[in-house]
Amino acid sequence: MKKTILLLIVVSLVAPMLFAAGQSEAADTNVIKLGVLAPLTGTNAEYGKGFEVGMQMAVDKINAAGGANGKTLELVVRDSKGDQKESSDLARQFADDMSIYAILGDFTSGCSMANAPIVDAAGLVQLSPTASNPNYAGMSPYTFSIMGRQDSEAPFFARYIIQKYLGLNKVGVIYINSDWGASSYSNFKAEADRIGLNIVSAVNYVQDEKDFSSLITKLRAANPEVVLILDQGAVPQIINQIRGTGWNVQLATLGPGTSEQLINLTGKNAEGLVLSTPFFFDEADADLMAWRKEFVSKAGFEPTIHPVCAYDTVYLIKAAIEASGSGEITRQTIRDNLAKVSITGVSGPLKFNEPGDLTREYMICAVENGKYVVKEGFDYAKQ
Amino acid sequence: MKEGSYANMWDTPPSYSLYETGEAGRMDYFLNQLINGICQGAIYALMAIGYSVVVGVVGMVTFTHGEVIMIGAFAAYYMFFLSGNQIILGLIVSFAASWVLGYFVYKVCYERFFNAPRHVSLLTTIGFSMLIKNLSQIIFGPNQKPMLDVVEANFFRIGAVQISELQIVIIITVIIMATLLSLIFNKTKFGIRLKAVSQDKTASYMVGINVKRVAMLGNCLGCGLGGIAGLLLAVYYQTIQATMGGPLGMKAFASSVLGGLTDVRFSALGGLCIGIIENLGITVTTASFRDMFAFGFLILVLIIRPQGFVSKKGAKV
Repeated sequence: MKKTILLLIVVSLVAPMLFAAGQSEAADTNVIKLGVLAPLTGTNAEYGKGFEVGMQMAVDKINAAGGANGKTLELVVRDSKGDQKESSDLARQFADDMSIYAILGDFTSGCSMANAPIVDAAGLVQLSPTASNPNYAGMSPYTFSIMGRQDSEAPFFARYIIQKYLGLNKVGVIYINSDWGASSYSNFKAEADRIGLNIVSAVNYVQDEKDFSSLITKLRAANPEVVLILDQGAVPQIINQIRGTGWNVQLATLGPGTSEQLINLTGKNAEGLVLSTPFFFDEADADLMAWRKEFVSKAGFEPTIHPVCAYDTVYLIKAAIEASGSGEITRQTIRDNLAKVSITGVSGPLKFNEPGDLTREYMICAVENGKYVVKEGFDYAKQ
Repeated sequence: MKEGSYANMWDTPPSYSLYETGEAGRMDYFLNQLINGICQGAIYALMAIGYSVVVGVVGMVTFTHGEVIMIGAFAAYYMFFLSGNQIILGLIVSFAASWVLGYFVYKVCYERFFNAPRHVSLLTTIGFSMLIKNLSQIIFGPNQKPMLDVVEANFFRIGAVQISELQIVIIITVIIMATLLSLIFNKTKFGIRLKAVSQDKTASYMVGINVKRVAMLGNCLGCGLGGIAGLLLAVYYQTIQATMGGPLGMKAFASSVLGGLTDVRFSALGGLCIGIIENLGITVTTASFRDMFAFGFLILVLIIRPQGFVSKKGAKV
């Protein structure tokens, strides 16, 4: 019995190596294979499916238009189940398979970070569409992410939305006392101190708070020109309760993005609300609407920003391949070119900074007549 | 004096200083926080009144009160959705819905356990509250729902001290409910039976009171008051959610314990105290410490007076 188990273990260890070796021999020089790590099953399955559909849409379009430098792109999709161990095993397989030129994925920061030492040792790019942990991209020269860092939006908010767009100086902040809320606030405060914004009052609350009236009274006593709300779930309640006291202060929020739920819950109280978002399905943009329609027909559900970023990663790889010109394409040239290329993706302009992630250029949105309206485009931050 | 409703508030210039600087401004600010505290305390008081009626009459502690409150809020939500802003209709429906739920709570959690050890019915109420909460999440959905503006958002000002029409409606409703309950307890035969049962079940049985029936009705009455508290909470916070009951049940329990668990008047006082202490606590710190003030105050009072504000047995109004 013991021998049988031992044999099974040996076989299971050796089999993937043989399999991987077999694949690398069959490498076709006219095909560039990209490994995809996505949680196709488990809690994040919707996002994994979004990755698969979004990336395949990009590959189909690129191949139909003649490929990248004349070479056909091919996806090798593997299910990481949102599990770091699973993801690492798959990343190692990709690393050993020399026909794989780059990895696209994984979905979570946790999985992507677990894979960082593996891709670093293999000299293989891991380009994550969605990992937003500020520590991820700096882990290796081969790790990249395009979601934008958690610590870049709050400073943007201070500088461009409150100081430049609204032209206001006295800010009252109400934020949720959580990992996310506290770090967002400290990032906001650091930038506010740097540019001379005056935070006249900052109050916080814990998850599941329902009554904000005393916090609102406290904020109001400090007489701010704008109230910034840092949270997701409680933002509608805070807006309703602020308006319920008859206080017509300018409102701004960081966290919920262009959430439809927020509009549904607040109605006319949200009117005039200002917020930031890296991406927005603008109904006036015919190309974007066509993209959304295609995605819905293939995936069967409405896209969020995540499949959009997944789509863009394929175009980034394409740009990196094309940047080699007539030279040889290797894992290393893809990495070197990827760090340099600059494209405008569906999710916005994409150019990596030193660690390998990017500072998203956020759009400024306002609620007008019950709808999100983009007030300033991507280029605003460049001014 | 009366300010305009906020339907056209966008026409008014943005942000103005509400408070004067210096001592006068500080006082106004303090008074505003006090009003917030009284309003919240009034809702806690109504929850606590219902709670102590249940505990007093049935004689067993309940942990379903949070869910009873939640059902009242949802009943009001659907009633307002159908009828517009008929607040009286909403009050009746939420009272009735929670009354009906109270009947089931009685049947499941109390009826068969009067002679069983106390922890049996206690655990049953905890289990039943989970059942109601999870069922509600399935039926109503897990998301927050927006409450309609039932009371127009007008507000009144005396200097910088501001009180909204909504706050006035809430405080008045609570006072009316408390007065009605007091009348029932003191002026009706049913109320006297309720008092008798809460004071001594065996003696009540001996003088010919149908103890189980009275306990059932008393339980339903307490739950109905909880349902009205749910309506007020929903209107005040403008959102409802299936999971809203848990922390509220704890506040009702704490207020009630503060008042001595079964004394209705002192439970109401306990609720009011907790509401005010919370809001004044937030004045000097921030809302992350809300529950610390509420329960810290409770512990402090219980250390000094373990019996709460009052010590005599039985429900009194």
